[in-house]
Amino acid sequence: MFTQFFGNYLLNQKLITPKQLIDAIQQKQETRMKIGVLAINAGYMTASQVERIHELQSKIDKGLGDIAVELGYMTAKQLSTLLDAQPVGYLLLGQTIVDKGYMTNSQFESAINSYKEKYSLSDEDITNIENSKSEKLIASLFNFSNTSNPLLYKGFVSLLIKNFVRFVGDDFTPLEPEFSVQAVSYKTSSQNINGEFSALTHIFAEEKELIQFACRYSGENITELDEYVEASCQDFINLHNGLFTVNVSNNQQIELTLAPPTPLSDLSPNQVQGSLILPFQFPFGIIRFAISI
Amino acid sequence: MNINELKILVCDDSLLARKRLKDCIISFGCSSIFEAANGEEAIAQYNDNKPNLVFMDIVMPKKDGIEALKDILEIDSDATVIMASSVGTQSYLKDAIKAGASDFIQKPIDNDRVKEIINSYCSREEEDI
Repeated sequence: MFTQFFGNYLLNQKLITPKQLIDAIQQKQETRMKIGVLAINAGYMTASQVERIHELQSKIDKGLGDIAVELGYMTAKQLSTLLDAQPVGYLLLGQTIVDKGYMTNSQFESAINSYKEKYSLSDEDITNIENSKSEKLIASLFNFSNTSNPLLYKGFVSLLIKNFVRFVGDDFTPLEPEFSVQAVSYKTSSQNINGEFSALTHIFAEEKELIQFACRYSGENITELDEYVEASCQDFINLHNGLFTVNVSNNQQIELTLAPPTPLSDLSPNQVQGSLILPFQFPFGIIRFAISI
Repeated sequence: MNINELKILVCDDSLLARKRLKDCIISFGCSSIFEAANGEEAIAQYNDNKPNLVFMDIVMPKKDGIEALKDILEIDSDATVIMASSVGTQSYLKDAIKAGASDFIQKPIDNDRVKEIINSYCSREEEDI
């Protein structure tokens, strides 16, 4: 989780430009295979399994972790443990930024130090961020106390970030939240949450970005806005909201129900007016998620 | 009972969720798989094909999974229906169990769990014979 927030911090502090960050995130992808080393270390996979996936990756454009889970070499839980505990991410991002000449080594070092100081993160926290610390980072994204229900919003956003890491990829940066949309060419799928409180959620992006999102989420090679894109959006929003309702049920004894997600349609700006809109910057573009409780 | 003799019905409104579960089941050696995209279709498919096992989503349009489960059990009180859903909340779980579900899988689906369920069904059938 640390890499995503560190990227966001560098942007906020104007230490790098959004373009430079995307560039660095894209470059960083080339070294993503290190998950294999971590998996071997943790005893989850054998070296020959990692080798086999490296071979497959020449044909399939997917992360090693995702393929490993599909092949049953690792469980999704083990992968998420590795991703959560992974210190390599931010180091790679930092290294890439320095390699590209966007920052010098000493600028990077001082940025990392002031970041750690600001959020009181120890070296240990960085290698293994516990929930309380990651919540602090999430709180730094947005002032939840201004919302109608800070606890629910925070829980929702924190789970959403984890689900993006787990099901789409860890190479994103959460950008500043928005409260309205300007563009009119977004496609969206939405889902209602009902019960003791009700909430409306949307996932939306430009067509071309949704296609890329769907390629990753479904593991299919998708080139146009087809049924797989629609299914991926519906599946992701349903999966995330489902897990959210489970958390709320377990932690707060609040029982909620879900309506089926809607088919893809054009987003009209008034649908998300007043919602908390979270943009996730991926190398292929921005995916937005809106929630209004 | 042998895995390759099993008939399995996968009911989920998400094309992707159906494909994932289908691929997973096929990888265990079962090839008679039927699909339904909502509760109504599930009941029709159940009547037509009399599957041994049913994997059923809960949140679906037309007829939801709990309703479809009840209807299927009315048709065949011995039906083995496993709910596979992202909404494993206490009240949904309670509803599913009360309605007669055999088991529950929380999405995202863990292939090992599916294998476990299929294997235990097969060995149970063997004991009965």
